[in-house]
Amino acid sequence: MTRADKAPRSKRAAWINAWFVADAIVALAPPIYWAADGKTTPILGLPAAVFYFVAVAVFIAASIVAAYAVDARTGETG
Amino acid sequence: MLITFGALAAFFAIVIIVLQASGIRDRNFSEYAVGGRAFDARYQAMSFLNTWYPGSMFTAFGAMAASSGVISFYVLTYSLLTVVLMYLMARPVWVWGKTFDLRTQPDLLSLRFGSRHIKTIAAVVGIVSGIPWLVLGMQALGTLFQYMSLGTLSFSQAVITGVAVIALRQIWTVRMGMRGVVISDMVQGIFAYIVGTAMLVGLIVWMVVAKDITFASLEPRMFAIPSHGSTEGPLYVFSLIFTGAIGGWCWPYIFVRLFTADGVESLKKSAALAVPLSLVFCTALLIFGMFASKIPGVAEHPNDVWFIVSQEAGGLWLLGLAGVVVLAASMGHTDGNIQATGAQIANDLIGNYWKLEERQLILLAKIGMLGLTVLASWLACLELPALFSLGVLAYQGIIQLAVPQFLGIFWRRGNAYGAIAGMMVGFAIAVALELVFPGYLPWAYGLTSGAVALAVNLAIYVAFAYGFPETEAERKRVDELFDLVEKRRASTAPLHPQPAE
Repeated sequence: MTRADKAPRSKRAAWINAWFVADAIVALAPPIYWAADGKTTPILGLPAAVFYFVAVAVFIAASIVAAYAVDARTGETG
Repeated sequence: MLITFGALAAFFAIVIIVLQASGIRDRNFSEYAVGGRAFDARYQAMSFLNTWYPGSMFTAFGAMAASSGVISFYVLTYSLLTVVLMYLMARPVWVWGKTFDLRTQPDLLSLRFGSRHIKTIAAVVGIVSGIPWLVLGMQALGTLFQYMSLGTLSFSQAVITGVAVIALRQIWTVRMGMRGVVISDMVQGIFAYIVGTAMLVGLIVWMVVAKDITFASLEPRMFAIPSHGSTEGPLYVFSLIFTGAIGGWCWPYIFVRLFTADGVESLKKSAALAVPLSLVFCTALLIFGMFASKIPGVAEHPNDVWFIVSQEAGGLWLLGLAGVVVLAASMGHTDGNIQATGAQIANDLIGNYWKLEERQLILLAKIGMLGLTVLASWLACLELPALFSLGVLAYQGIIQLAVPQFLGIFWRRGNAYGAIAGMMVGFAIAVALELVFPGYLPWAYGLTSGAVALAVNLAIYVAFAYGFPETEAERKRVDELFDLVEKRRASTAPLHPQPAE
């Protein structure tokens, strides 16, 4: 890696960074929402199309709460 | 009408009493522009939400959920995804802001790229792009006041009343600057998103129990997500979410929230506090909208969905409370927009070319806010049929700031030439495409004009980064900026590289 490509290093756990990447994938990857298009099969009481968006939202929200919990414990929040 | 207008007046009085009681006196421009970087996580979280979710959430997005169904959930996805970006940006932006006393988004771009001109360009783009949305926000209050008048006021009278109320409110925004905005965001946010969410949940329960409405009652078209074979195209939803998530931070009044916190810790904690509230509020709103599509009258007037259902479920008292919720959300967004724009006029336009004292900067910011309030109020009272199209156009344009902003924060390569050229070409392409193909580009599988322009913008930025390497001095300066972020963990002794002229 050259000088110019170096980003500020973070001590944050690798799995949190992976979770953030997964946030972008589940929120943006077209094949996932294509699969939910028009689906009304109930999943946990919600039609599949609604469940897709709610599940993605919960997944993203949980990643931020988890990141803060981990960062606060490892001193990454300062 | 006494009940509904009385509720609005009582809420307005509460906000003003809180602001008056706070006794704010700003000693310098940084206190006026970013509240002295004094706010903890709770204030930060509520301030972010109150600026992010305007009153039109209850009208425009409520209407979208009621008329188009589950596609409206894209706003939930990008609203949460954008907080991930906030979490990642928190440290570099706050550290640079604190160390170099940055007050605005163009300040940060100027520091990062060592250019005075990028500051002017970013400020002009931000200010011009924000005006249509400020005017639209004021006009949206017309819907609120017309409904609250129970049909007594005509729409034009209601718009004038709404504009008068929000313009009156700006007296305190102008006087108190950012501290006033953030403190009032807490009060307004409690009503808009905590009381609002409680109302939404209650109304959903009422529709299920009293009206027997469930997801099973809804038409199949309410579960359609544009995919292969759709009118919009298979990449339309991707484009909406992607540009929404990164574009949010291009608005000056959103970005400046990163400078008002009292530390990186508060910013990160505010993200963790804001997301659960955002998740519950937005999910409840969109489910409410979908269910409400079965309530008589909503299909004909989807923008009134929040008021129609509230009045039917709880009469005038609940209608009055519904009005308070929308007014609270609208105030937060409008105040934030006007405050940030006033600060930019003083700091990034006038102050970029003339050396001004702190008191002169504050005075110019106040004059700018006053001028903007008068201009937006006047425009809001006119009939401007193309205003919404102008707003969409402005959005596709302003998101072009995202390339230099995010790459500038996270990548050491990149220079002012690439940043300015990319932004300007991106802006021109976005505007041209939006004028020819409003909404989405059929030949690009549903991508929006802004998304296509972003790709060109990015290519230009990267090409300049590799094609026109920076000087050794500039490389050292940028390295010091990034090292400063790293060193903050271990040491409180900052480096002080200066931006080039």
